[in-house]
Amino acid sequence: MSSGLEFRGVSKSFGAVRALDDVSFGVTAGETHACVGENGAGKSTLLKVLAGIVAPDRGEIRWQDERLRLTGPRDALERGIGLVSQETLAFPNLSVSANIFAGRERTLRGGRLDEPAMRARTAALLADLHVPVSPDTGMDRLPAAYAQLVQVARALAFDCRVLVLDEPTTSLTDAEVDHLFGVLGRLKVQGVTVLFVSHRLPEVFRLCDRITVLRDGRLVTTVARAETSPDAIVRAMVGREPPARLAGSGEDTRGRALLAVRDFTRRPAFEYVSFDVHAGEVVGLFGLVGSGRSELLETIFGLHARHAGTLAIDGHPISPASPAEAARAGLALVPEDRQRQGLFANLSVRHNLALPRAAQRRLLTIHDHDERQLAQHAVDALSIRTSSLESAPAELSGGNQQKVVTGKWLATEPRVLLLDEPTKGVDVGAKFEIHGIIRQQVRDGMGCLMASSDLPEVLAIADRILVMRQGGLRGEITGAMATEENVMRLAAHETRSSGGSVPAGPASGGHS
Amino acid sequence: MKGLWRAREASTVAILAIEILFFTWYLWPEAGRPHPFLNLGNVLLIFKYSSIYGIAAIGAAIVIISGGLDLAPGAVIALTTVVTGYCFVQAQWPLGPSILAGLLVGLTTGALSSWLVVRVGITPFIATLGVMGIARGAAYVVTEARYYDLSARLPRDWRLAGVSIDWAGPIIMIGLAAVFQVLMRRFQWGRSIFAVGGNETAAIFSGIRVGRVKTSAYLIAGLLASISGVVLAIVQGQGKADLANGYELDIIASAVVGGTSLSGGRGSVAGAVLGALIFGVLRNALPQIPGATFYDRLIVGVAVIGIVVMDRTIGSRGSKAP
Repeated sequence: MSSGLEFRGVSKSFGAVRALDDVSFGVTAGETHACVGENGAGKSTLLKVLAGIVAPDRGEIRWQDERLRLTGPRDALERGIGLVSQETLAFPNLSVSANIFAGRERTLRGGRLDEPAMRARTAALLADLHVPVSPDTGMDRLPAAYAQLVQVARALAFDCRVLVLDEPTTSLTDAEVDHLFGVLGRLKVQGVTVLFVSHRLPEVFRLCDRITVLRDGRLVTTVARAETSPDAIVRAMVGREPPARLAGSGEDTRGRALLAVRDFTRRPAFEYVSFDVHAGEVVGLFGLVGSGRSELLETIFGLHARHAGTLAIDGHPISPASPAEAARAGLALVPEDRQRQGLFANLSVRHNLALPRAAQRRLLTIHDHDERQLAQHAVDALSIRTSSLESAPAELSGGNQQKVVTGKWLATEPRVLLLDEPTKGVDVGAKFEIHGIIRQQVRDGMGCLMASSDLPEVLAIADRILVMRQGGLRGEITGAMATEENVMRLAAHETRSSGGSVPAGPASGGHS
Repeated sequence: MKGLWRAREASTVAILAIEILFFTWYLWPEAGRPHPFLNLGNVLLIFKYSSIYGIAAIGAAIVIISGGLDLAPGAVIALTTVVTGYCFVQAQWPLGPSILAGLLVGLTTGALSSWLVVRVGITPFIATLGVMGIARGAAYVVTEARYYDLSARLPRDWRLAGVSIDWAGPIIMIGLAAVFQVLMRRFQWGRSIFAVGGNETAAIFSGIRVGRVKTSAYLIAGLLASISGVVLAIVQGQGKADLANGYELDIIASAVVGGTSLSGGRGSVAGAVLGALIFGVLRNALPQIPGATFYDRLIVGVAVIGIVVMDRTIGSRGSKAP
């Protein structure tokens, strides 16, 4: 393991959460190494430590038998460690060339920018990566895949020896993934060490030499690809066998159709989507990023106009033109991005919890006593850990913030709860609690439609799983057929036939 | 009352109190002579002039808390005095309808601003900058360099219920501040203003009708600016296109000094009125200090920055959710 990259006893805590706990493993120089784990397993923190964004509490990272003492992201870059992060960190208002050199611009004497040099270097890098765009193109005009590759180019611009990729394929199409993997293959030939973080096991097995599994911040194992199987990796990630299913086991204990969606269409996001959600069931809606699942939920909730299709709650047709109308009809949506779409940072936890209900009931005045009661009830029922009802949401952990966003919608007593990534960026404990809350609500007669890209989560708590791809519903999977492989096959467009899937909905000519 | 009155306003009150104590001490007269600052006539003067931008500052605070900005109130005040003056003096309308016509000015400009911001989607700064120009320009078009002398048709020593008309501005300001303080803290409408200003996307997702909330803020700001204009027209007895020049910045500064955050979501209408009084006292007292005549604007500018920085350093406001 000499002359490679080595993690030795790396630990990092955020408050009470141990994100990394004594993690040690080695990456041989020149290999392509995968790091996998569930959400909250510590992958992202590990990468941030490696990229100098987060300083570890204990432990060290060694590169070629030398201890790396990183002072910041810039330091990491200068030592040849380039991070391509999960969120595309880019300046949409600047050109590709300006993005690649942001913060490290080449200058002439006197401090003037050396635009020709930067443009030429950018053109060379883009050609290397087979990205057919001009260095002067505005970043906001690039498709997601090219934006992702520009990040790779940014890392490579400075003689990168270790390239770290955090879930680089989540927003890419199959062809774009092929392109990226081709680039990574060529980098490997050039001797670049790649650390690849993903939850997409097929990609991991396709690309990587060895696989390290993290769970709850701890190292589970590091194995060579040839000596393991996707099943074994999933078992290692989940740490139990088989993954505990919270979902109801019986096939037909479900009640009447609460929410009926027919031929729902909003182009280009999704077309002709039809399904029911019954009282007492959790319907999982699985699809990769770009499959149209968030747009589907948001359109049902009246945030966007639909182009065709009908909605009914309890047999009564509804056509909400706004979230206000949707809420009054008995719908609630816990949105994907709690910071941006869910929380009011300037309002207390109590006010946050009370708002949608007050808006839904068109209350005129505010009753402190009622609000406090409602908020206290939510805090108790969802075990939201907050020092007081008057705390600002920023004082809460991510998991508890998520519970506030969930609680504020449960307070409206919806008939059908729409959840978009209900446990995104939430630690494992809170995730489990949120799953419990969802199941509890469903037992009490609510219907629930849960969109998630977290496959183990969908498998664990959904009674049945609808799979979306390219704006269409591609199938429904229930019971014993609900395996990671079957769901993934439908979601990722592998035409190989399988016994587990029942094609549903007209196969529309999707938008590639 | 609990929850209506917070640390936010308390710190503004403290600043005002310190200011008053300072000038009381500094301007303390020789024995036997009346205090030039602390006497009923002067207090009325301070209130009278503070109320002109104090009333409009209530509206400005509401717009800013909702995440917007209104640059129009100064011009709206001027146009209101002109329209009221035109109706009352030129068209010989009775006073009541003339005042209503003046109030219509603010509702119209408010509607225009909100339409531009909500429907057309122009940023508030530009939209209200345009409305400011339109309102000021309209005032010049109507007056054509004349001005309307309302005082000739108004009763001398006019009293309502035994109170001099000079008190109308202060009383209206305090009354409106109380009403809007309650509306902002105790009514769902006010909570929506805070929510929209704090996180517009989350407000949409929460079922708040964001467009209506913003529209209401601009309408109220326009109406309150017009009320300022009517008060100015009656108190000064003039309808003139170049009145209230540059007031929009004093009005915004009053709201900010009163604890309203320009990034939206935080603030208080009572604070805005207190902020207006802080400026009123400064403007009144500084010229009375021998030798300070030419320094008063400079000192006011420094004071704006000083108060806001001090406030942030103390950190009592802004950190706590409303």
